[in-house]
Amino acid sequence: MTWFPYMKKAGMVLFVLLILPAVNVQADDFARLRKDSVRISTISANFVQKKFMKILSKPLVSEGKFYFAAPDSIRWEYSKPLKSVVISDKGRTKRYIASGGKMVEDETGGAQVMKLVLGDVAGWMNGRFDSNPSFTAVLKEGPSTLITLTPVDKRMAGIVEKIEITISRKDASVKSVRIVESATAETRIDFLNAVINKGINPSVFQDVE
Amino acid sequence: MKGLFFLLGMFLLVSCAAMPAIHEPSSERAGKSITCPSPFLLEKTRLIHAIEVRMAGKPKTALIGVTLADPVSRMFSCAMMSTEGMVLFEASSGPDGVKVLRALPPFDTNVFASNMMDDIELIFLTPVGVLTRKGVFAEGERVCRRHKEQGGWVDVLAGRDGRIQVRRYSEFGVLQRTVNLEGNAQNAYAVIELQAIDFVNYTLIMTLIESEVVRDIPPVKR
Repeated sequence: MTWFPYMKKAGMVLFVLLILPAVNVQADDFARLRKDSVRISTISANFVQKKFMKILSKPLVSEGKFYFAAPDSIRWEYSKPLKSVVISDKGRTKRYIASGGKMVEDETGGAQVMKLVLGDVAGWMNGRFDSNPSFTAVLKEGPSTLITLTPVDKRMAGIVEKIEITISRKDASVKSVRIVESATAETRIDFLNAVINKGINPSVFQDVE
Repeated sequence: MKGLFFLLGMFLLVSCAAMPAIHEPSSERAGKSITCPSPFLLEKTRLIHAIEVRMAGKPKTALIGVTLADPVSRMFSCAMMSTEGMVLFEASSGPDGVKVLRALPPFDTNVFASNMMDDIELIFLTPVGVLTRKGVFAEGERVCRRHKEQGGWVDVLAGRDGRIQVRRYSEFGVLQRTVNLEGNAQNAYAVIELQAIDFVNYTLIMTLIESEVVRDIPPVKR
């Protein structure tokens, strides 16, 4: 298994999958989302991630906490089944993994990949869903607002089919993200117990422990 | 022709000399037959492990690995994903060889797929090949050595404390992989340490998240 040295390249693919924002299809609706999102200064939420794959008999469930402070501070922390933390603050991003009972920095270049990923996630939190030409964005109103991002580049076929982001109509916060990789594989992240605009200690975005 | 066989025989002799020598059991064990250690899967099983990747003794990154292995058919599937759920590699192996279902760069090389499947087979499935020797190492570990049909050697040894180790050597006796099974009697795969001696040396510490025996449901006849 001589795959480890190549993590950085794999990370770039992850970046392509998750980061590239969307084409402006429904300009008015997206403009409204941006306007509504301006009211959000902080978000803290639990999240549950479910990974569906053919090789799994039941979804692999991961849990953690998510923190956001405008404009671009993020803490993305997994507690189960594998502890890891990504912190992005003031343009610096670091990724940590649990080893021997303590958190140590991921030295594979994954942090730089996550910097790009979290940059886009921060964009979503700020209501910016439609500023990248690599994805076609479609917005559909319902009980919640559903934004579907579809890759324009055919070479993405087999890697990601679409990304669905569900937005709360009440407060314009992201309720869930669904990444469909293929007909038999997808990842769904649901944000729970979201608290909006409550002060978050700055150390959350600086200290890993 | 005789000369060729002689040279081949000498070559194999020299090759094996690079591997630790296997001795006859000591007098206290004399008379007792050596039972080959066999921690390997007996039933089709799905295992999910947290994988810590170490280089030069330092942790570098962490991944999640899923393995579905059937020891009877010797078919298995595997997937490797990031904590964030991104599937980096997915493949299956069976009578028709290795079938890669998904491999994102830089995991999209034949060498990577082949090495990964070889490692999974080494860890989870009873080694195939001719049992060439069984006995004990100098330190007293019980060991069985097999020569693989496609080349290379595999030692499965059990220490005095019962811990199992699997070693894979090249055809020339060069150590390539060491697998330490640190699990318990209930599950030998609770903690797996794989040490790879390759272009880049690395160690994988695999900690079991969950495992389940998989029973295939036969199709219902109508």
